[in-house]
Amino acid sequence: MKVLVTVKEVGEADDDFEIEGTDIASSDLEYDLNEWDDYAIEAAVQLAEAGIAEEVVAVTIGPERAEETIRMALAKGADRAVRVWDDAFEGTFADVSSKVDVFEAVVDEEEPELVLSGVQAADTAFGATGVALAERIGFDHAAVVNDLDLDADAGVANVHRELEGGIEELTEVDLPAVLTVQTGLNEPRYASLRGIRQAQRKEIAATDLADLGLTPADVESTLTLTEMYEPESDSDAELIEGDAGEAAGRLAEVLREKGVGA
Amino acid sequence: MEFEPSAEHRMIRDTVREFCESEIRPIAQEIEDDHRFPEEVFAALADLDVMGIPVSEAYGGLGGDQLMYALVTEELGRVSGGIGLSYAAHTSLGAKPIEAFGTEAQKEEWLRPLAEGDGIGAWALTEPGSGSDASGMETTAEYDPDADEYVLNGTKQFITNANVANSVLVKAVTDPDAGYDGISTFIVDPDDDGFEVVTVWEKMGLNCSPTCEIAFDDLRLPADRLLGEEGDGWEQTMSTLDGGRISIAALSVGLAQGAYEAAKEYAGEREQFGKPIAEFDAIRDKIVHMYRQIERARLLTHKAATRYDAGEPVTKASALAKLDASEAAREVAEEAVQTLGGYGYTTDFAPQRFYRDAKLMEIGEGTSEIQHVVLGRELGL
Ligand SMILES: Cc1cc2nc3c(=O)[nH]c(=O)nc-3n(C[C@H](O)[C@H](O)[C@H](O)COP(=O)(O)OP(=O)(O)OC[C@H]3O[C@@H](n4cnc5c(N)ncnc54)[C@H](O)[C@@H]3O)c2cc1C
Repeated sequence: MKVLVTVKEVGEADDDFEIEGTDIASSDLEYDLNEWDDYAIEAAVQLAEAGIAEEVVAVTIGPERAEETIRMALAKGADRAVRVWDDAFEGTFADVSSKVDVFEAVVDEEEPELVLSGVQAADTAFGATGVALAERIGFDHAAVVNDLDLDADAGVANVHRELEGGIEELTEVDLPAVLTVQTGLNEPRYASLRGIRQAQRKEIAATDLADLGLTPADVESTLTLTEMYEPESDSDAELIEGDAGEAAGRLAEVLREKGVGA
Repeated sequence: MEFEPSAEHRMIRDTVREFCESEIRPIAQEIEDDHRFPEEVFAALADLDVMGIPVSEAYGGLGGDQLMYALVTEELGRVSGGIGLSYAAHTSLGAKPIEAFGTEAQKEEWLRPLAEGDGIGAWALTEPGSGSDASGMETTAEYDPDADEYVLNGTKQFITNANVANSVLVKAVTDPDAGYDGISTFIVDPDDDGFEVVTVWEKMGLNCSPTCEIAFDDLRLPADRLLGEEGDGWEQTMSTLDGGRISIAALSVGLAQGAYEAAKEYAGEREQFGKPIAEFDAIRDKIVHMYRQIERARLLTHKAATRYDAGEPVTKASALAKLDASEAAREVAEEAVQTLGGYGYTTDFAPQRFYRDAKLMEIGEGTSEIQHVVLGRELGL
């Protein structure tokens, strides 16, 4: 089967950063592969190693700069990558639906049986792309997956989903399916140096909207960023000091004040 | 002129850095305190294909270049000088000479396990009575024509990795009347009869990297353990050290970088007289000076590595890089200790470890005094 993994390059801000217009200054950002996408790649590569996946394709929406990050997916074992970018995305804030427009077209082209997606992106944190894509392409889906056992013959993914309050749901999802991957699914490997060297020669297909049969109008975003600011934080943290007895006493007092165990 | 490493080099450096941060930094002081060679770290480095970076893929290496090797060595030094030293000795001294001077059969048997990380390499030149002056070497290898074997006798001093090695490349005199032209190199297996690890030294630093005195007592070597031709040993040594000094320079840059980062972070947080100490001119100037020394040493190191990769002569460039970077490492580490004040003197903080480790860089693979001798000669003095 073919596995498609959606990956995103995310910018992480330094402790001190400047805001430029509606974004954090790029000089204060370190770009890296989105953490949850790393779990998704690891899951896909494990499926390939188990002989279940024949091909692992990584897809991203991102400018040329993102290639370095996408190459990390290739270094860890993805076979090839598709990078979609278009002038139409320049300077805009793509909403979930415009991303899904793109991924839908890529799915049409690639015809994967399984799509793995991070549960969320560390920067925008919509947590919606994978599920919205499933809805659009008519695949079954499971969100917040932290355990996966794929029975390819039966065409079923047995998954654990993390729900609120420490509850887990065990469920079966029929293939083709979209799974959004949560922390805990696996421990991502370090790319081996040989993998990194081989990744330099793997294909990253630069694709624009026209290549996908889309127009800028198709992917128009309903969201615009109007302002970026640091929220006022009024923290009133109290540092409890003293020996264990005193500290425990004060802690109990605070908890009681706040209504715990009343 | 290219001052930035390629995307591939950066990706490799960043991956190794990530590994070092998560897997080595947390245990760096502990393995020093315990004087423990961390086999598990080297096994993990082998899984990442780090152990054979500048060795051809034909023998299980990565097929990378000297610059890539230097970048990775710097990253190891940034968290653990001892791991960095054992790694550099394994690669430049233990493995590279077999690739450069060995027969196909020797490369298959002895280089492959080192490049793939199944074994650790070592190299034995120094003796109790012969350090900077290798012509005073007393270890002998006498040829026994009846058995077609060499018989090795003598003692080697300060041999990195000797007690954990798969092979030790030993320099020995095969023709006592020929001076430098009478020295040859042999591939010795620590399992060979007559091989003894006499001492594992207690040192000022780098204690997770074993430094051994070893002795050979009528150790018999089949003739196919001779590396290159009889009498090639000294020429081989010179070219081996040309490459090796680049890795010691890189390791020194890493030590300096680690010390600098610790000092910079601390100076931004520690407050005295109502403000972070980094805001006092004296401390700020120290940190700026550290940065300046590191940047300079790194440029010299990358220049030497780049020349090496272009196949140009590197004796001068590698001696200069090693001289400058080792001095920078010691000075930066010392100033890092000073920046942390009393805390810098405790083993709870890293600068003292960098300081101890850095000192060796001015001694091993040719002391700084010897680098001056080499440079003077290169400058025609
Ligand atoms: C931790 C550690 C690891 C090592 N690993 C290895 C290894 O793996 N393999 C190996 O073969 N060796 C190894 N060595 C040995 C190292 O290379 C030698 O210690 C070094 O070359 C110096 O030799 P020496 O100690 O005999 O000092 P000496 O040569 O006795 O030097 C003593 C002092 O005299 C100075 N001096 C000597 N000659 C001159 C001169 N002509 N002009 C000016 N000054 C001079 C030196 O610079 C030094 O300051 C290691 C040493 C240490 C401490």
